[in-house]
Amino acid sequence: MSSDIAIRVDGVAKRYRIFARPFDRLLFQMFGLREARCEPFDALHELSFAVRPGETLGLIGRNGAGKSTLLQIICGTLTPSTGNVAVNGRVAALLELGAGFNPEFTGRENVYMNAAIYGLDRAEIDRALPSILEFAEIGDFIDRPVKTYSSGMFVRLAFAVIAHVRADILIIDEALAVGDVYFTQKCMRFLKRFKESGTLVFVSHDVNSVINLCDRAIWLDRGRIARQGPAKEVCEAYLGSFYPDGDVGDNAAGANVAVRRGSEEFGTGCARIESVELLDDADRPLSLLLAAQRVQLRIRCRASTDIEAPIVGFFVKDRLGQYLFGQNSLKLLPTWQCIAAGAGVEVAFAFRMPQLASGEYSIGVAIGAGSQEKHVQHHWIHDALHFRSQADPALTGLMALDDPECRVQDTGSNDVCA
Amino acid sequence: MFTVLKQYLFLIYQMSRREIIGRYRGSAMGLLWSFASPLVILAVYTFVFSVVFRVRWQTGGDDNASFALNLFAGVIVHGFFAECVNRSPTLIAENTGYVKKVVFPLWMIPAIVVVAAMFHMLVSLLVLLICSGLYLQQLHLSVLALPLLLAPYALLVLGVGWFFAALGVYLRDLAQVLPVVTTVMMFMAPVFYPVEALPEAFRPWMYLNPLTFVIGEMRGLVLSGAMPHWATLAKFTAIALLVALAGWKVFRKAQPGFADVL
Repeated sequence: MSSDIAIRVDGVAKRYRIFARPFDRLLFQMFGLREARCEPFDALHELSFAVRPGETLGLIGRNGAGKSTLLQIICGTLTPSTGNVAVNGRVAALLELGAGFNPEFTGRENVYMNAAIYGLDRAEIDRALPSILEFAEIGDFIDRPVKTYSSGMFVRLAFAVIAHVRADILIIDEALAVGDVYFTQKCMRFLKRFKESGTLVFVSHDVNSVINLCDRAIWLDRGRIARQGPAKEVCEAYLGSFYPDGDVGDNAAGANVAVRRGSEEFGTGCARIESVELLDDADRPLSLLLAAQRVQLRIRCRASTDIEAPIVGFFVKDRLGQYLFGQNSLKLLPTWQCIAAGAGVEVAFAFRMPQLASGEYSIGVAIGAGSQEKHVQHHWIHDALHFRSQADPALTGLMALDDPECRVQDTGSNDVCA
Repeated sequence: MFTVLKQYLFLIYQMSRREIIGRYRGSAMGLLWSFASPLVILAVYTFVFSVVFRVRWQTGGDDNASFALNLFAGVIVHGFFAECVNRSPTLIAENTGYVKKVVFPLWMIPAIVVVAAMFHMLVSLLVLLICSGLYLQQLHLSVLALPLLLAPYALLVLGVGWFFAALGVYLRDLAQVLPVVTTVMMFMAPVFYPVEALPEAFRPWMYLNPLTFVIGEMRGLVLSGAMPHWATLAKFTAIALLVALAGWKVFRKAQPGFADVL
């Protein structure tokens, strides 16, 4: 096994065979007989891919796409029907939280049990325990039975153990959905630190965290790889697939769409975005942002049918595709009733763009109709426009504060200091 | 290789401990129950068989206490077998989490049950040793040979455990059938009577039941101070090894299908 590959999945397929009689199932398992008597169900069709050490792979896909089956095969809890999986290094998996926990036992006992399953011996667990307790933050509950835990405490403890087994490869399935924001953030920080040295396979419905965390993503659809590549591209393609009339034809009136060539788009096509412009205060096109300033974003759209309750919106994303902020016309133009068929409109947003950290940014725009809760997307363009920001290198974080102030004040002397 | 073995042993130790303590978790008397319950059973059996039915043990002392000790020795041996075998068919299904959610050496689950049952057997044995020491006013040196009997016996039970644990995943009926079988085996072994109570013609048949040999040896070692029948013990050990190996093979062959069935 070469060490430049952490996980190699080679022609892996999983066929569930459903037997009417368990005895036939047994005969099949032991002697390979009675295959004709089963009803096959293919959960995975011959997948092949490889994950390099240190790489972070996101797995996305709808329910039933085979994500969990694939993870279980990688972990070794499921056996593939054909093909094989080679894994290089110690694997820790959080497939379902606290799977190894016994509800009757205290948190402390379960930590020992669970860590032992991951191959730690007693001395190693003793050493890791303070750090596990600190990570889990469940206080005195550690000595109470796990059955008395809230689901949040359960997750925290389970994750804390996983975080301390010094795995080379970490496999996380939907695990972060249960914790509160504070804990999720903590896990994300841990995962970000982990991925500097380890290999991570991450499954989530939250496309944002996949984009945020993963270098690469695989979109599984009904047991096949629908798409793989850079996390951002794959996630955008996946999001686009939720709108059934995915592609907007090129036949619409506005052939001169001034959006970036090759950007991803989808929608019903009942209305199209023809052009998007980012301008400064003096109506000059803006592509480099050097300081916080007022800007205008002008979006021109044309409707091919009557659009009731139209909504036009935008969002600004960073290089990783993380949504930074955005706005739509729903609140700002509450009286906007409709666009008549064939009519063109220009929606202009004006706002103060904060000083963003240096880097590439993109603006996604969309026209839809309906309400915030329930709407259809007529035309959605992921990256309609790009711009750069050049900031003071001292800027840490995503953006600079607006007009920060700072004062120092003497609060009196202290005897101890004197 | 060595570190893996060490880890396995540590895991078996942890899990068996959990298994043993877990049984009494939340109960007021805790581990005392593993002393108390065999004593109660022993008292009831003694009462029924020697007071109500007036059965006489034909070897050794002809009184109630001797009967109780002989009976207890048989009950201990059978109890270990019955506990492991009766539980085996549902073991994997009860631990679905270990099958589907973590990478866990599943062969360990039946082994853990054997280790935990062995612990309970040893506690009962201690009760037997104390009672027989008090009654007979002496402890036989042959007691020291007990490990030579118990080790292959545990191995045999482990093999049977693996076998039924693997099959039980696919054939749920086993959970209903096995308790009946183990009860039959109790009466078809000299638990409540000495082998000598049987007509000569039946005895070879009774020795087909592995419990017969173990119970006989146990009584010899603990109660009458007889040394083991070395030749038979060697044969028994060989058979136990074969059974364990066969059980292991079946378990490993059936294991890949567990996650699909559960």
